[in-house]
Amino acid sequence: MPDAPEASIPAASQRGGYSAEARMDSPSAEAGVPAFRHSRLQRLADRWARLGFLACSLLVVGLIGGILFFLATRGLAAFLPLAGNTGRVLSFSEVFLSADWAPSSDRFGILPFIAGSLGVTGLALLIAAPAGVLTGVFIAKMAPAWMRNLMRQVMDLLVGIPSVVYGIFGLTVVLPLVSRTWLEDAPASGFAVSALILAVMIVPTIVSLSTDAFESLPSSLDEGAQALGSSRWQAIWRVLIPAARPRLLTATVLGLGRAIGEAMAVQMVIGNNPQWIALMRESTDRAPFLRALFTPAATLTTELVQELPNTAAGSTWNNVLFAMGLLLYLLTMVLILATRRLGRGREA
Amino acid sequence: MKIRFLAQTILAGLLVAGAAQAQTVTVMGSTALGPIVKKAAEDYMKAHPGVQIAVSGGGSMTGLNQVTSGGCHIGISDVFATPDQEKAGVKNHNIVVQPFTLIAHPGVGVKSLSAQQAEQIFTGKVSNWQEVGGKNQKIVRVIRPESSGTRAVQKKTILHDQEFAKDVLIQDSTGAVVTSVATTPGAISFVELEHLEKNKARVAGIAYNGVACSNETVKSGKYPVFSYGHAYTNPAKLGDPKVKQAVEGFLAFILSHDFQQNVLKAGYLPVDYVKSLKTKL
Repeated sequence: MPDAPEASIPAASQRGGYSAEARMDSPSAEAGVPAFRHSRLQRLADRWARLGFLACSLLVVGLIGGILFFLATRGLAAFLPLAGNTGRVLSFSEVFLSADWAPSSDRFGILPFIAGSLGVTGLALLIAAPAGVLTGVFIAKMAPAWMRNLMRQVMDLLVGIPSVVYGIFGLTVVLPLVSRTWLEDAPASGFAVSALILAVMIVPTIVSLSTDAFESLPSSLDEGAQALGSSRWQAIWRVLIPAARPRLLTATVLGLGRAIGEAMAVQMVIGNNPQWIALMRESTDRAPFLRALFTPAATLTTELVQELPNTAAGSTWNNVLFAMGLLLYLLTMVLILATRRLGRGREA
Repeated sequence: MKIRFLAQTILAGLLVAGAAQAQTVTVMGSTALGPIVKKAAEDYMKAHPGVQIAVSGGGSMTGLNQVTSGGCHIGISDVFATPDQEKAGVKNHNIVVQPFTLIAHPGVGVKSLSAQQAEQIFTGKVSNWQEVGGKNQKIVRVIRPESSGTRAVQKKTILHDQEFAKDVLIQDSTGAVVTSVATTPGAISFVELEHLEKNKARVAGIAYNGVACSNETVKSGKYPVFSYGHAYTNPAKLGDPKVKQAVEGFLAFILSHDFQQNVLKAGYLPVDYVKSLKTKL
């Protein structure tokens, strides 16, 4: 480290380090612009700043690693006889392949929650993905400029609404409305309303990202299609959407990630019944699919948010809940990796 | 003036130093019992400047776990200790009485249920209000999650330890339960009495065996559905005799006649109201 003398405060350090850069800059220095030089103080600050940034990034990595380690040890405690584990050691099949959830009676099948999470997320995507992508086309390719700006701002605002607000809205407005209008006062809690609320929550994400996707397409695609005589609809359907497809998939997967991890809003409207699969089996309804839409059900996140704070640490029940958390983490990881994959497909 | 100010400063400094040496008692657990215990702590600290009492939440189970392992001095809880925790030496003190009542959507057309009817509704043997003298309408059972203290009380008192029906709606908090019952035709649930009193305009109270839940009916022994708020200690983990003394003093204060009159304002009943009853809840 070529140390400059102690007295070399900025004005006096004309002959300090970094001489190569300084000499390259010297013509401009003569033209009255100060030369690009680092004082000893600045270099010291640089070094400390670098250490600071490094510490911050290590902290973040450490935190994420720590959470994963915590989740993994607590979650795997359900299946392995680890130290400090007071609960029963379970087999994978009685947890992942059983639909019978009755923790007080020592039965821990989490299939209803897995099926519930996948079901409600899938339904939400069925509603949100087409709506979001088509809105994206509209904003990027059809709307006049003032409307485009307005829509973008509205979408950004919608992303910021806390999920509990959606939940209260669902519980106090949507559920009674659906029940009164279509179900002859039978309760409306279940997949249908939860998926609807989730769809409303994730549409802004999908819209924002697909708008970006369409705006980033070269205008030559659109123009070329129209020059060849295609209608507006044909250009969108045959040219623009296929061209933007990798990024549209990324948008959808990000929406999916938000939907599968959502707990509060879903918890307030889904009915949280862990016995829903057994209930469906017993029912003799003629339209089982329609019935399933309005059967109170439960998901991984809703069960976690309801039971985790109230179960004794180290008990079998608590361990299985952590295993559910670990499963959710892994599902989200897979989704993120899938997003990366899809995103890379664009450049190829 | 200056001398007075100086004297005040020194006095304040001495007080702070004194507080730093004070016995600190930590209380953790039930968020439902938190406010009333906090009130007790404030009153107690006023009367005993040498004692600091810190009350924090975490939930009934956290309180029990922590007191068992020695992580806090007093664990407050809505539920009973598990046999394992009892074996570890955890000692129960009932500090308040919590009355519970059945509530329903105002349109169900039923004002009272017999104990048997209530049991059959929640176990699933009865599924239409018509079968218990009401409208021809499906019964929607709204209950709390499996780990909830309220649900444990309901299972013991109303269901006599039988399993709940499979066809249920589950809500996480009493507030959500009340909203759900108010907005779902045919809904029935089970909540603390104070939540019925706060929401009389939205939900209807249902009498149990012809007796409506109230402080008076609980006191007279006519109304049997209530639970205790518990404070647990683990005497083996209270090493320091001074801490032990402070803990015992605080618990005695909560159970004193004067403070027990205060719990009425918070929606609870004094423990001695029902001392004659031997229900284990």
